[in-house]
Amino acid sequence: MKELKFLTAIWKTNLQSAMEYRAAFLTQVIGMLANNFIYFAIWIIFFDRFKDVRGWGVNDMYVTFGVLSSAFGLVSLLFGNAFNLSDIIAKGRLDYYLSLPRPVLLHTIASRTIASGMGDFLYGFISYGLSGYFTWDGVLRFVLATLLAATVFAAFLILTQSLAFWFGMMTNFSNLVLNAMLTFGIYPITLFDSYAKLILFTIIPAAFMGALPAEFIRAFSWTTLGQLCSAQSASSHWRSSPSTLGLRRYESGSAIQTRSKFDNKREPDLKTRPCSRVT
Amino acid sequence: MKKYWSIFQITLINSLAYPGELVGRSLMIIPFMWIFYQLWKVTFSAAGADVISGLTLRDTLWYLMLAETIELGRPPIARTMSENVKDGSIAYILNKPYDFLLYQFSTAMGETIFRAMLNAVFGGLTVWWLVGAPNHPEGFLIALPAIFGAWVLHFCINAMIGLSAFVVEDVSAFTWIYQKLAFIFGGMLIPLDFYPQWLQTLAKFLPFSSAIYGPSRLFVTPTAEFFVSVMSLQLAWIFVLTILLAFVYRRGLTQLTVNGG
Repeated sequence: MKELKFLTAIWKTNLQSAMEYRAAFLTQVIGMLANNFIYFAIWIIFFDRFKDVRGWGVNDMYVTFGVLSSAFGLVSLLFGNAFNLSDIIAKGRLDYYLSLPRPVLLHTIASRTIASGMGDFLYGFISYGLSGYFTWDGVLRFVLATLLAATVFAAFLILTQSLAFWFGMMTNFSNLVLNAMLTFGIYPITLFDSYAKLILFTIIPAAFMGALPAEFIRAFSWTTLGQLCSAQSASSHWRSSPSTLGLRRYESGSAIQTRSKFDNKREPDLKTRPCSRVT
Repeated sequence: MKKYWSIFQITLINSLAYPGELVGRSLMIIPFMWIFYQLWKVTFSAAGADVISGLTLRDTLWYLMLAETIELGRPPIARTMSENVKDGSIAYILNKPYDFLLYQFSTAMGETIFRAMLNAVFGGLTVWWLVGAPNHPEGFLIALPAIFGAWVLHFCINAMIGLSAFVVEDVSAFTWIYQKLAFIFGGMLIPLDFYPQWLQTLAKFLPFSSAIYGPSRLFVTPTAEFFVSVMSLQLAWIFVLTILLAFVYRRGLTQLTVNGG
């Protein structure tokens, strides 16, 4: 409860900071909405020509893309620093958070809001609305699935970025796995054979961000919900371990740390994002 | 021109200063090509055809490899220019004894060469392993002038987006939208030949297709006739966009506000 109060205060401050540049904030939100609509047109063209991919049609793509986009947007909005945690660690910028009496990991990742995440988050709901699967109870499932997918995604980001405690600068590796997660998450899961699926449910858990939540949104099933909750629970369990272990290896920098209002305006370097690219 | 050649050489050597980063960045093409292979293998199989709109599965994969190489190889010029305006360093660049746009072009090309080469190597090896050698390996040499032209086109459009930072400062929304338009009208993820006829006609006329589709298709179909068609359209767009860029630059200078420095 104490942490929730703390998080609420941080998010409120982040929002106020982002809204200080109202025009820039709105440009980013509207720009990201437009970006996602234009990107999805590629899938419309594809399915118009080829109809379906092993039973996976354009309507399924709307739902998958929608839930992945909303989950990505939610993490960008609430835990924006999860995208550049490795940089923060490698450059000794954790000092600032270590000196304050709050959980270091939580404080670090929640200290930044990526404004364009709002565009991604909203787009997901619109995409679901256009999917042809829309029902009111489906909206509730969409919200639940987004929350569960966002938890898995945030945990994945923290896990991979925390490797910087051991290996130093990990920007390229972090971008690589992030792009892989988003790319595999968006594509129809019916494309992949059993070995590839094994990877998508374990090492790169993209299936828990795209295909599985989409399946749950289309039709309620206790089995799918159980799988999503297990993934969420496992990721919640694992996410803080590397950071906790890694903190023992952390070497403080001698730089004077300041936080600027411009910190909220930096974008993650993504070729992918639901968002900024995907093959 | 000697000073721009020197700027190009310095940036080229600088790009080799961190080989690990260069390689790491280029590895991104591997999962992209692998997933393309999965998608198009299933699509060709479902269509029950070896050739769709004149392209085999192998052609499609090699086409996409070159399209990805062009896209992943180009540096984020618009973002760099926007950062220069935001942090005030634009003041130091503008008062140097060189042309701002030619300086940006020289550095962009210097950053592009090795980045694109490594993408081509990793992407090429992946595609070779998945579907075999390209049907026309000589197509790569024939497509080289068009690849260079593609980067010039990308530079012109990205520099114009970057120059808009003189007025709006943050250009990320424009870069996202440009990238997506290039994906659609450039045939980045789906070759334009697979599009409906009306959309193909429209897309093939736009500069995006000269920047991605033209060179990539030339690589898999290296005929003299197609080479002339791709190069003439590309040169026409380069001419138009260069004039437009020079005009936008002159207008932009009058709007620029330097933030300290």
